[in-house]
Amino acid sequence: MSVSNMLENWSKFRHMHPVDDAPYTEYKWAMSIDLDACSGCNACSVACYAENNLAVVGKEKYNAGQEMHWMRIERYWDEDGREFPDQGAQFIPMMCQHCEAAPCETVCPVGATNHTADGLNSQVYNRCIGSRYCSANCPFKVRYFNWYDYPTTNNVWPDEMTQQLNPDVTVRGKGVMEKCTFCVQRLERAKNNARTEGRLVHDGEVQTACQQACPTSAISFGNLVEPESKVAKQWAHQQVELAAKDAQAKDEQEGGSDLRGYRIFEELRAYPSVMYLERVRESAI
Amino acid sequence: MHRFLSLFILLVGLFANAASHAADAPPSITTADDLGPVVEQPIEFPHNRHAGNRDPADAADPSVPAKGGMEINCMYCHTYARRSMVSGIPPLRKCIGCHQNLPSVRDTPRIQKLFEYWDAKKAIPWKKVHDLPDFVRFNHERHIQRFIFTQGKPVQEACGYCHGDIKTMTVARRQKALSMGWCVSCHEKDHPVDAAATKTTTHGPNDCWQCHK
Repeated sequence: MSVSNMLENWSKFRHMHPVDDAPYTEYKWAMSIDLDACSGCNACSVACYAENNLAVVGKEKYNAGQEMHWMRIERYWDEDGREFPDQGAQFIPMMCQHCEAAPCETVCPVGATNHTADGLNSQVYNRCIGSRYCSANCPFKVRYFNWYDYPTTNNVWPDEMTQQLNPDVTVRGKGVMEKCTFCVQRLERAKNNARTEGRLVHDGEVQTACQQACPTSAISFGNLVEPESKVAKQWAHQQVELAAKDAQAKDEQEGGSDLRGYRIFEELRAYPSVMYLERVRESAI
Repeated sequence: MHRFLSLFILLVGLFANAASHAADAPPSITTADDLGPVVEQPIEFPHNRHAGNRDPADAADPSVPAKGGMEINCMYCHTYARRSMVSGIPPLRKCIGCHQNLPSVRDTPRIQKLFEYWDAKKAIPWKKVHDLPDFVRFNHERHIQRFIFTQGKPVQEACGYCHGDIKTMTVARRQKALSMGWCVSCHEKDHPVDAAATKTTTHGPNDCWQCHK
């Protein structure tokens, strides 16, 4: 998006919501995470570190709240009257929800984060000036700020370790915001191959790093536009709609719904692209 | 006298100020005519002899050394351009593959140097001429597929959009700015939509994440 294009079509960019004026034609990347399958093993988080050149900041900086994990397992404790408190452990994998009406996008003073035609919430590092307004406005708190110049000053990737960096992903410098990209480098590669062959990306052709690493296949990822894709089927089966406003229609029924699908903070009208499937078993442990 | 002196001091001060500012400014990446720096290569590879246009006088007698080029397709050597992000620098064996059968030029200094590398079993340390920043993803395949295979543009014209008229150079030198504004100036244009396109837009991708990573 060039600056001239951005200024001319400002209202259009701000209308990239799942409202009827701009439906997706080719791709709308979306995810669904089955919490009943999730065992909280953190493999997704580790895979994300490896794929996206994330800096391991160390215990001290982690305690200062400067961690850089794009994918994290959030823990919650539900201790109401259980025999063993551990039984109340609940957890949820959390990363950028790629909201359709993303609160972070509207507040960026330089337009460094905006919506792509594939329904991703993009973050352009070399445009970011580090105001951190986006992070302040993110209801999911999934944006991470580079407080230090990790590649050079903190010895995050000493000597040979630089060989493990992914060349398709920028190594971010000091003072920029970063977040989950749905592994956009993999998406671009898959789209490129598909386009050379004159087709769209097949379902299952592209995997995100977290999905690939998940031992229980709790994460599925795909194109919501294609009705036969696994993700689209899951969304349809759970009657979760991308463009649903305050709550899904099924949840407004009398007595609630038996279906497990939900999106986090639906009532904020951010229209997230990630659907979670509620846990069926009572406790994780 | 005082007035002249003060004017003189003022002028000197202004110049000194301007000069120090000029010294602080980072060296310009691009020159006025967008020419890149001259890159010294280990072998002065003559692109003009390989890819240049044939001289009409050459065809008559094969025993006389040719003066013009041989009109070799760019993708004969830069073979990955049509199927990969990067176009690729040909391996040494590609050079040798032809040149071991070309005794007429075997004793020229550049070819001797080429065979020195071959005998020493060493790759030629070519230097990069068209170097994009690390945060940019440029995909050769997409451009080649679109302009050459879908729209049938001549190879040298399509490559020349970004690389200039390589067939007239010996060692390649950057001819275009390769800056974001320069890329966008082409992406903003309306190009004819090809039959295989799934998109209805006529311009190139205009989305940050298409090129920035």
